[in-house]
Amino acid sequence: MSNFSFISDTEWRCGCCNKELQPSKVNVEYMGSVFNVELMACPACGFVLVPEKLALGKMLEVEQLLEDK
Amino acid sequence: MDQPQLRTLEATCIQEESPQCSAACPIHIDVRAFMGCLAKEDWRGARRVLDRTMPFADIVGRICDEPCRIACKRAEIGDPLAVGSLERFCVSTVPMVLKQPKLPAKGGSVAVIGSGLSAMTAALDLARKGRNVVMMTGDEEVGGSLRGYAEEILPARVLSGAVETLDSYGVNIQFGCSLNKEFFDIVRQDSDAVFFDRDCAGLAALSIDCTHPDPLTLAVGNDGCFAGGGTTENGFSIMKQVEDGRRASLSIERYLQKVSLTAQREREGSCQTRLHTVTIGIEPLKEVLPADPAAGFTKQEAAREASRCIQCECKECVKQCAFLQEFTDYPKRVARKIYNNQAIVQGTRTANKMINSCMLCGQCTVICPHDFPMAEVCRTTRENMVAKSTMPPSAHEFALQDMEFSLGEFSAMARHQPGLDSSRYLFYPGCQLAGSAPETVEQTYLHLTRHLDGGVGLMLGCCGIPAQWSGRQELFGQTMQTFQTEVRKLGDPLIITACSSCYAVFKEFAPELEVQSLWQILDKGELPEQKTAPPQQLLTIHDPCTVRHEPEIRASVRSILKKIGIATAEQPYSGELTDCCGYGGLMQFANVPLGEKASRAKGLRSDLDGLAYCAMCRDNLAASGRRIAHLLDYLFPAGGQEDPLLRPNPGFSGRHENRARLKQHLLTTLWQEEPTMPPEYKDIKLFIDAQVMVLMNKRHILEDDLQKVIFQAEQSGRRLIDPENGHFLASFKPVRVTYWVEYQPDKQGFVIHNAYSHRMILPGDVK
Repeated sequence: MSNFSFISDTEWRCGCCNKELQPSKVNVEYMGSVFNVELMACPACGFVLVPEKLALGKMLEVEQLLEDK
Repeated sequence: MDQPQLRTLEATCIQEESPQCSAACPIHIDVRAFMGCLAKEDWRGARRVLDRTMPFADIVGRICDEPCRIACKRAEIGDPLAVGSLERFCVSTVPMVLKQPKLPAKGGSVAVIGSGLSAMTAALDLARKGRNVVMMTGDEEVGGSLRGYAEEILPARVLSGAVETLDSYGVNIQFGCSLNKEFFDIVRQDSDAVFFDRDCAGLAALSIDCTHPDPLTLAVGNDGCFAGGGTTENGFSIMKQVEDGRRASLSIERYLQKVSLTAQREREGSCQTRLHTVTIGIEPLKEVLPADPAAGFTKQEAAREASRCIQCECKECVKQCAFLQEFTDYPKRVARKIYNNQAIVQGTRTANKMINSCMLCGQCTVICPHDFPMAEVCRTTRENMVAKSTMPPSAHEFALQDMEFSLGEFSAMARHQPGLDSSRYLFYPGCQLAGSAPETVEQTYLHLTRHLDGGVGLMLGCCGIPAQWSGRQELFGQTMQTFQTEVRKLGDPLIITACSSCYAVFKEFAPELEVQSLWQILDKGELPEQKTAPPQQLLTIHDPCTVRHEPEIRASVRSILKKIGIATAEQPYSGELTDCCGYGGLMQFANVPLGEKASRAKGLRSDLDGLAYCAMCRDNLAASGRRIAHLLDYLFPAGGQEDPLLRPNPGFSGRHENRARLKQHLLTTLWQEEPTMPPEYKDIKLFIDAQVMVLMNKRHILEDDLQKVIFQAEQSGRRLIDPENGHFLASFKPVRVTYWVEYQPDKQGFVIHNAYSHRMILPGDVK
């Protein structure tokens, strides 16, 4: 999952800052492993969107892989 | 698990033992594989099976006296397989496929006296192994007694083909020898070992007694002479000739290598096998006979006859267990996988999911002819995984949090009967019944207080079995200790459990406490006046897995059913053999789809509507689509429930909320106490349709989690918005899991559109 991009157009806007989400590089972490990934996030407050497809797809896959390591 | 433990376990599972036919065959031909090939019309494959083990297959295949036939399991239910005729078909129609290689010459010269089938076999086997073999016979041809067969059974050209075969392996055949003492003296001097085929005229003249060879080694004397074959008290058997030739060749090999002639030879020749194959339920098909007996089988006839082979195996446990079926394995291989999994230091532990998927219910152990302890193996492995910190955190966390909630301030309580300060009894409904049918718990409790003297206390909580199943020994120990302290504080009353898991836990881990099942108490005492009419139809009883070894509890339940007029029918897999519903061992948490399969499988044991007396069985079977009631639904019906068979599965959220509501309700109504105030976020009102609820159950997301997310999002304003439809999307990470909720404010609360979660930690995760 390292250095992967999961950016895609989204209807979601930041409700706090009223801004469109922009691609943003963030570190996500699980079981001591850190991955630099590109996700959609609010350019002002940094609120990161994890879409359902990602949470239940690639992210779950990597979580389970790390749990079995 | 260490190597010796693994070996012991592996030896307990007999699936890899030989089938009866191969065990009975003196040279252990893989008859099962032979039949398998013929059945799928793989003629060359069938011939290869024979070539691998059978010497001179063209000859032996035509005249084999099939000692395996009487051992065939099909004989138990009808005609055994026509193995001999099928061998004959095979070698008559398919030429040799596999020619065994000859190993490099390694010295040692062996004389084989005689030229019957045992001499031929010994000569061939020894020549293949690189020994220098001279075959000496007074005859002018090979075959001995085999030459007496009619041409249509064993054509002379086939028999004499053996000479070519022996030649090709370098056997030096000397025909027309004069067998006398001088001849023998020379032979003895020139050879390191001698084999005498007793199917040979003139042996008596050789001044050596070949009549009583050692049955294990075929040695006569101890100077390298061996004898076998010929006619015995049982007559002249073809396979006995082959067996003796092979046994003698193995003895001579050992003799030449100067190793023990006797060690580890138990499995040579016909032997016993531990393979256990059940033939009940197999259709007793009649033997297929060739339409033209003289011509033998046609291809179609051969395939049809061979397809009657039931391909003997055990797998009795696998046939019944969703877990073993899922991992397409039998216990021996599961043990091996577990051993390998725990040996991994760096790399992926691929068996984690399997280890966490066993229901720990013990059904397989009851079925197993050797009591393979699968549950114990999986459970102790989980304990080791927890101890070594290799247990995947996600496997059991949800179940353990549920347990924590059941034991927490909002669900757990322990009180003497209202108005009394001592308890002779203590009703312990268990966390799942409290979650599934809270009103029934209340009614049951009130009934007990009315009919038992000396005070009936009440304790709501959890026995801790989820911790035990998940391998958390420390947590389980603490839970048991707290429980025991509470019971002692109440004056050591007799505990009445409605849940058979709690019963089993208390019996095993707190043996000093007095425990009885609610069913025994109700059966011995007074039953309530019935408020729900018994159903018109027959119900089938779904025993829970935790009463597998509790025949008295099972009998009490049946007795109560009889008294209240509910007609029931037994199903074959009940009682000691009953299935787990998928909750056992926390399977349904560690492997959601498999949990669903397991509950479906239990439900499908009978077409009848069901009756359970375990709350988890009841709810899981209801979730799988069965019409099923809990026994207490008929004894103490909840208000507003019309047909107990239609009570829906409350789901994880429902059970959670029910437990909290039960405690609050009982405290205020029976004990007139102030309830514990729920946290502020619990005021958030949710509207969740059935579809989203099903999704949340599968994803292990509680209403409680959604309330926390929305409460936090609405307070902070940190949420995403879809301007198109006005939906909000917010996330929150209460402990380790981040929950996402798509919702929409409504006049009275919030409509939930979707919910999902992940465990990966984001930089800005709100805690």
